Amino acid sequence: MIRFDHVTKTYSGQKRPALDGLDLEIAKGEFVFLVGASGSGKSTFLRLILREEQPSEGRVFVAGKEINKLSSWKVPKLRRQVGTVFQDFRLLPNRTVNENVAFALQVIGRSRAEIDAVLPETLELVGLEGKGHRLPNELSGGEQQRVAVARAFVNRPKILIADEPTGNLDPATSVGIMKLLDRINRTDTTVVMATHDSSIVDQMRKRVIELDDGRVIRDEARGIYGYQS
Amino acid sequence: MNLTMRELGASLSRNKSMTISLVVTMSVSLLLAALGLLIQEQADRTERYFGDRLQLQVSLCTDTSKAPTCIGGAATDAQKDAVQEALDDNPEVKEYEVRTAQQNYERAQETFGQSETGRKQLEVLSPENFSDSYFVTLNDPEKFDGVTSQVSGMDGVNSVLSLRDLLDSLFIALTNLKWAALGTAVLLILAAVLQVSNTIRMTAHARRREISIMRYVGASSWHIQLPFILESMVAALISAALAAAGIAAFMGFVVYGFLRDKLQITTWVRWQEAFVVMGWTTLLAVALALLPTLLLTRKYLKV
Repeated sequence: MIRFDHVTKTYSGQKRPALDGLDLEIAKGEFVFLVGASGSGKSTFLRLILREEQPSEGRVFVAGKEINKLSSWKVPKLRRQVGTVFQDFRLLPNRTVNENVAFALQVIGRSRAEIDAVLPETLELVGLEGKGHRLPNELSGGEQQRVAVARAFVNRPKILIADEPTGNLDPATSVGIMKLLDRINRTDTTVVMATHDSSIVDQMRKRVIELDDGRVIRDEARGIYGYQS
Repeated sequence: MNLTMRELGASLSRNKSMTISLVVTMSVSLLLAALGLLIQEQADRTERYFGDRLQLQVSLCTDTSKAPTCIGGAATDAQKDAVQEALDDNPEVKEYEVRTAQQNYERAQETFGQSETGRKQLEVLSPENFSDSYFVTLNDPEKFDGVTSQVSGMDGVNSVLSLRDLLDSLFIALTNLKWAALGTAVLLILAAVLQVSNTIRMTAHARRREISIMRYVGASSWHIQLPFILESMVAALISAALAAAGIAAFMGFVVYGFLRDKLQITTWVRWQEAFVVMGWTTLLAVALALLPTLLLTRKYLKV
């Protein structure tokens, strides 16, 4: 589903590469934790999957396409197959839960009928049934993150990328979000999650890829967090 | 589409003062550009009407002419031949054109027919009240004295008129007005383009969260740009409508209300020319709004 082939990324004006000759493959339906210190290359890795950045060397394949060769007008189509969740939720504060989730479909031109059909089941999946008419500031942090997950998943992407999704949440709420991501993963969606949350990684026992200075220093099938900050 | 329209409405009300100032600047600049074009049209029309303005108009006698050279009444064929011979032989004369009394009458109808009083005056005139005339083009327009003094004393010649004397001040005034209007229009257009850019920058900033989400969920760049383009288009079309209203007022009050009645020295621009100018300014407005919008949205909203 995702393949990095000798990928090096050096940002302009920097001598040290953010990613250094990375070779990596993530299969369809896998759940992968990306761990490592700040500046180890986790964010660059995610940005390359989203084609927000282009590799300086090497090739990146996502959902069967070599995305560094993708012309820019095809990038939106790629991103419809990759849902994204952030640490800071990034909800639209003046829109209700329903509107926030529907927004993801409206802007890619889905009809009202299609949106009305998928909205309730998506809210049910993330555990927000009955809260569709609330505004984000009427929700707890955990609920806001569920809205963000619903927005990322409502289009049923093949891949879900989560960049520190539990970074702003307390441990109990974080567990709820992880259960949700696990449920999504069980629908055969590939999940790639960058995190600093050791207890979650240790509990889930999924594949762990540790980056350091832009290189993979550990890749374990049922790993633990391991990295000591 | 609903969403785009909602975005457009929200953006217009958010940027109300910016949009109003953009519309004011743009409509004034378009009005000035339109006036410049209209004055150019007027200059062309005057030039066509009078022909080459570096000319002398030699009018022959009619039965009613009072000049001492017209004692014998209307110019005879012999007198006409003598005048033509003099023009043929004069080295200062480059060429000349004969206009018959009938042609001169038709021109007068065109000029005086523009107003009610003019049309009344025409009712009592017929082609017989007009003379044949020669429109003489000189080799050197500065040296009209020789030809004037030679021809003006001849029998059968009623008057010799230098169109240069008559028209130069009109052309100078038209040219100056045109450049003043177009020059100011260019400055204001520059201001309008900068305001379009500022509005886009502000809107892009105000909507940065929506735009970043749109990019992440895979909205096409066209979808992201559309509200910006529509916002600029709305401002451009309102400005074009205001400028057209200004041109209509100018035509109604100044050209039709005053110039055509009171200054019958030439034929004045008509509504059909004003409508063409309005069309051009509308196109200009759309280009002024669209070009910076497309360039800047590409820069700020890159997917």
